Amino acid sequence: MAEQLLIQLLIGLSSGMILALVASGLTLIFGIMDVVNFAHGELFMLGAYMGTTVLVTTGSFWLALLGASVAIALLGAALQITTLRPLVGRDPLTTILATFGISLVLQNYALWQYGPVARKIQEPITSQFQFFHIQFPWYRIVIAILSAAIIGALWLFLKYGKYGIWIRATTQDRIMASAMGIPVPLVHTAVFAIGSAMAAASGVLFGPLVGVNHAMGLDWILKAFIVVVVGGMGNLGGSILASLFVSLLEAFASLWVSPAQAVIVSFVVLILTLLFRPTGLFVPTPK
Amino acid sequence: MLTVEAIHTYYGKSHILHGVSLEVRPGEVVGLLGRNGVGKSTTLKTIMGLIHPTEGRIVFEGQPIARTAPHRLARLGIGYVPEDRRIFRLLTVMENLRTGLDRRGVTEERRNILLDKVYQSFPVLAERRYQAGGTLSGGEQQMLAIARAMMLEPKIILLDEPTEGLMPKMVAQIREIIGLLHRESVAILLVEQNVPLTLEVSDRIYIMEKGVVRHHAAAAALRSDDSVIHQYLGV
Ligand SMILES: Nc1ncnc2c1ncn2[C@@H]1O[C@H](COP(=O)(O)OP(=O)(O)O)[C@@H](O)[C@H]1O
Ligand SMILES: [Mg+2]
Repeated sequence: MAEQLLIQLLIGLSSGMILALVASGLTLIFGIMDVVNFAHGELFMLGAYMGTTVLVTTGSFWLALLGASVAIALLGAALQITTLRPLVGRDPLTTILATFGISLVLQNYALWQYGPVARKIQEPITSQFQFFHIQFPWYRIVIAILSAAIIGALWLFLKYGKYGIWIRATTQDRIMASAMGIPVPLVHTAVFAIGSAMAAASGVLFGPLVGVNHAMGLDWILKAFIVVVVGGMGNLGGSILASLFVSLLEAFASLWVSPAQAVIVSFVVLILTLLFRPTGLFVPTPK
Repeated sequence: MLTVEAIHTYYGKSHILHGVSLEVRPGEVVGLLGRNGVGKSTTLKTIMGLIHPTEGRIVFEGQPIARTAPHRLARLGIGYVPEDRRIFRLLTVMENLRTGLDRRGVTEERRNILLDKVYQSFPVLAERRYQAGGTLSGGEQQMLAIARAMMLEPKIILLDEPTEGLMPKMVAQIREIIGLLHRESVAILLVEQNVPLTLEVSDRIYIMEKGVVRHHAAAAALRSDDSVIHQYLGV
């Protein structure tokens, strides 16, 4: 039994870190511009496709990861400038409709461009290691560590970088930030680009596990939305903790129920959070 | 240096400023007085580009700025200290100051000079430099708001009720910093409810009523004859 618990712990932690990477981009964008980005899943999916293209041409998985992130960051910046920037200060509903519209366009573009057949991304590391009685793929450990490294780099950048302080100041008070000389429209675009790059990076990292198709983002994005709400909308640390929390609960739950049923755990956590602590599980009670 | 010419400003459909005109010359401290709700804060917000006037002109150092974005005005040399202070609550004191310091052309040496200056005027900010802005007392937040604007090395500072709700000791400190800025030839447009303080630190005074400037005089003239103050402010 203890053995089984350790196995589930490893599964939960590795899925949790990956989920945290998807959720971080989402929560960062919401925190700074109150935009719920319904196109996050499509950026994730397009990132994965872009990864397959780069992988086919260069043969390098790591170049694919980098190239896809940069390309989707640029796409994100272009989308933000053309559709979201004109909506700043309007009813939040308008941005929801806008990102929902973007998501439909991108999804159908992918279907048209790449067709309905799933593509495969070959993982760079195929070996496995023995963990008690199961074979655990090294690749899952690698993506968990890479996710943690990307999130860690983001955190350091936000904490100490000049532009990190610009982002945090703009998140807290966009009007005062502009009065202090911070170019707020540029900061918004940059954050949208960073969030898009994170979505693309997770898409490429996940590609080998799920196969690349136009709807691959749906499951993970749904879960990412759940942890963003559970962690307190716009709260980066909260989203990361919530990702680990929900993934661990799911992993342990699957000891007793089938993995398909364990998915329900995240919805239960979501509903309980909304009922009893709507500001988020991992944020201090507002004074 | 700053000229406001007959500006009209609206919040949605409500017409707040009905042709406000005023002028601040280089290095001058100008007081803007008036009862609550006459549009003093709105005047400052309009100058700072936070709301755009529908009519009229604002000219800063020869350049029309009525439709310029606030972050460009900050770069041009306009500092803004809002009525509600608007400290970045989750940023430390140091990070709050860095929002004004991290700009092009500020050398390491210059940064240190600027920081030393505010730490000397407001020693409490040096003590609390790694504390979150939101944990500061009201008076300390006011000092931080002024210090933060000073990091921009502005040519003019728009100060909105800096002594509101402060204890006498803190009021004295604010008066001192206004004097220091004045000696350094930083122009100040000061909105205040504290009439004696405003008369004491200002060179000239404008008095507003219902969205327009009703009266304009040298501060010295109002110090010796308080009938105008009586008439418009009832104090
Ligand atoms: N954001 C706002 N929306 C609508 N009306 C406002 C807003 N801010 C201020 N007002 C109104 O504009 C008028 C002038 O306000 P303000 O400039 O803050 O006055 P003062 O600073 O002189 O006390 C007041 O009647 C106030 O109710
Ligand atoms: Mg006011």
